[in-house]
Amino acid sequence: MMEPLYVAGRSPLHRLPAWLKLAALVAAGAGLFVLRDPRWLGLAFALAAILVWSTGVTARAVWRQVRGLLWVLLAVGLFTGWFQGWNDALAVVLRVGAMVGLALAVTLATRTSDLIDVCERVLKPLERIGLVDAGKVALALALALRFVPEIWRNFQEIREAQAARGLGAHPVALIVPLIVLTLKRAQEVAEAIDARSP
Amino acid sequence: MLIEFDQAVVATPQAEVLRGVSVTLAERRIGIVGPNGAGKSTLARLINGLVLPSAGSVRVNGLDTRHDLKAVRRQVGFVFQNPENQIVFPIVREDLAFGLKNLERDKALRETRIDAQLAALGVGHLADRTSHTLSGGERQLVALAAVLVMEPALIVFDEPTTQLDLRNRNRVRRAIAELPHDAIVVSHDLELLEDFDRVLVVRDGGIAADDAPAAALRWYREHCA
Repeated sequence: MMEPLYVAGRSPLHRLPAWLKLAALVAAGAGLFVLRDPRWLGLAFALAAILVWSTGVTARAVWRQVRGLLWVLLAVGLFTGWFQGWNDALAVVLRVGAMVGLALAVTLATRTSDLIDVCERVLKPLERIGLVDAGKVALALALALRFVPEIWRNFQEIREAQAARGLGAHPVALIVPLIVLTLKRAQEVAEAIDARSP
Repeated sequence: MLIEFDQAVVATPQAEVLRGVSVTLAERRIGIVGPNGAGKSTLARLINGLVLPSAGSVRVNGLDTRHDLKAVRRQVGFVFQNPENQIVFPIVREDLAFGLKNLERDKALRETRIDAQLAALGVGHLADRTSHTLSGGERQLVALAAVLVMEPALIVFDEPTTQLDLRNRNRVRRAIAELPHDAIVVSHDLELLEDFDRVLVVRDGGIAADDAPAAALRWYREHCA
């Protein structure tokens, strides 16, 4: 099951303000695309790994979060290596790995509500000129984050229920009940939000 | 707290869920029982304005749920059967802050009230836990804390102990018994309602019995079992 990423702690990364972490993440993301030398990218990857480790998260939890990505990285690496050479492939894999590591470190050390507060503050100027409702966008973001693990869990349950009845993994047979379940749950959560929104 | 149902009807295109209910509720502890599909949850939802009457009216302390919805919701908290639906944010503390933030209270005050509320329910140690790691009983207590932190005068519970094992059921029962608030509890857990002031039996979209717990629950066992 996918889990919420935040790990409670008092590491230096935990103590930094959320806006600074997000700003640094954006800057690092842009910077990583400027770097081409695998040695520098390797250094960035190592730094990202140290930051993840500094949050106090267990290796098993990190593995659960990133194992799906390894296949993607492998495919991207092989594809790039085949067409552009293995030096470029190493650079691409290290760049994406470093980016994911930095993003993981930020989300491990920052509460969802703090991240959403930053988004809300960033959107405030747009709200003043009538383009968006910052509060609603922030809530939508929070709900999207909330529903990711839940949809995944529902998917697993439906797949197990169908397997128990001897059915194979047919996409339509999986997707239709998943959509129905998700919409039903979304309606129930909306009702709960209504009840708590005086 | 005074709740007045006046010929309240709830109709859907398929059926009439409640058929002109008229009743006045003023006791501290009121239980609602009835068979599945009888209209219990709909009756409870009318009090918080989650469902609005198709005809007739529901008034909470004189406020009409149709016209004064915000004011009604400030006074009436609602605890759902499945706490998973009620918990919006992944961390317990964040979830309690969600409702308070809607009232635009400052952050320090929010944190103080959240800690005090969780401690009052004996779950202060869960403040920084992720909700998916909690047991069913802990989740229900967190959902209750999220409602209590908003300081409502009345709390409506919709089958709060249905999904819980015996130990967690007892924890939630104790928490409800110790609440200083007025409470209306929809439940199939008849033991929970035995010490209440009044019990309504809902059947076929109407109130079939309305009495002290002993008499109402006896009627329920004789006619609806």
